[in-house]
Amino acid sequence: MALNPYDTPRGKLRSRVEATRRQFLLLVGAVGALGATLFGGIELLKFMFPAATLEAPPQFKTHFTVDDLTGSGTLKVNVLSDTGNRVTVVLDTTGIYAVYLVCTHLGCTPNYVSDVTSGTGVTDTAQTVAKHYSAEGGAISTRNGWACPCHGSRYFIDSTNFYGPAPRPMDWVDISVSPDKFFVVNRAAITVYRQAGDTSVPRWRLDPKTGKSNGATVGV
Amino acid sequence: MSSRPTEGNPLRAFASQIWGSIFRHGLPTTDKVAARTALTNFFLHVHPVRVKKSAIRVSYTLCLGGLSFFLFILLTISGLFLMFYYIPSVDQAYQNIKDLQFVATFGLVIRNLHRWAAHGMVITVWLHMARVFYQGAYKPPREFNWAIGTFLLLITLLLSFSGYLLPWDQLAVWAITVGTNMAKYAPIAGPYTRYLLLGGRNVGQGALIRFYVLHVVALPLIGFILMVIHFWRVRKDGFTGGL
Repeated sequence: MALNPYDTPRGKLRSRVEATRRQFLLLVGAVGALGATLFGGIELLKFMFPAATLEAPPQFKTHFTVDDLTGSGTLKVNVLSDTGNRVTVVLDTTGIYAVYLVCTHLGCTPNYVSDVTSGTGVTDTAQTVAKHYSAEGGAISTRNGWACPCHGSRYFIDSTNFYGPAPRPMDWVDISVSPDKFFVVNRAAITVYRQAGDTSVPRWRLDPKTGKSNGATVGV
Repeated sequence: MSSRPTEGNPLRAFASQIWGSIFRHGLPTTDKVAARTALTNFFLHVHPVRVKKSAIRVSYTLCLGGLSFFLFILLTISGLFLMFYYIPSVDQAYQNIKDLQFVATFGLVIRNLHRWAAHGMVITVWLHMARVFYQGAYKPPREFNWAIGTFLLLITLLLSFSGYLLPWDQLAVWAITVGTNMAKYAPIAGPYTRYLLLGGRNVGQGALIRFYVLHVVALPLIGFILMVIHFWRVRKDGFTGGL
């Protein structure tokens, strides 16, 4: 029975019964220090992930009203955008919808262009292009859409990608009409999420007269 | 040790003591003294005591590592001056850069010095790595230093990338949007990495201050420590002579 630690062979583990007070304190200290380091390390890592950010809230009111969108008679596909909030509101022959303008490739904001198919070699047929502009199959003079300035992806006005590196269509987000006729858009509430290769035209629409949506969501 | 002619003049004796405390040896008249001079001086100690004649040919290393280090020093000093004018706030950053260019005396020179030296350093570091690779200078006993070198290349690129956001112009914001979205494509850790880098979901104030701290403190500090090891290792491994 060796009670004096200096009497014991070096490096040999002794049973717990034989542990001296010094060894016990050393063990407790070591475990404590290790635990504190581990806890501190984890908390420090969590510190680096902000628990709250000062970013703009996802729901906001646009600076234009329903009348602004429906009033103009020049185009059959009318578009009003709030590029600061990265949202565009589109009126086509069947109703209103809002697109979250974040390129699905690497997240830039695509620009509005009046002739999106030019230079892309895309043939304008009822099956490929026209369906994105009119439910009746394309008797519309406009071919407006979205062109991303970063890597040249292009989208039809309903956010369907057809050119460039973008893997899938941009998302549609929830839009409603406030009592003072301004649009209220909620970027956090996705109404249409289409996978890569999905070129169908979503049926989700907001009725400009009643201000109610038909609730035809996709992929959510 | 040489005798000091200090008889009878306390001022000269004091000056001589200071001189002697800094420079422990006289002029290197013999090989032995020269070796000792290099060994006992902080600024000279990284130099090898003896160098093969073939090793000091310019075409041996093309001075690419030295050029990279020179540009790093240049970037540190010019960056220090830029920090007196630059405030990492989304409301002020762009205006600060404009002030540097058009208001601050000599600001245009310092800013452009920083910018072009940064481009230059990326180029020289790449070329340095290519030179080492093509000459097979990564082979034993230099594998460890090659590994340190790859991390230094990474640090150089990260410094370049993080500095890109700081002017807070359209190019900066969208380049960082694209760059951090690329990071998001990494499996599992991707989205977390992006959130960690940006301090949020979009490139905003949180991203600016994070990239600023990385750019002016964290990355240069890591780079400096790695460089110290890198240079020391170069001396210890010695020269291979002409290949």
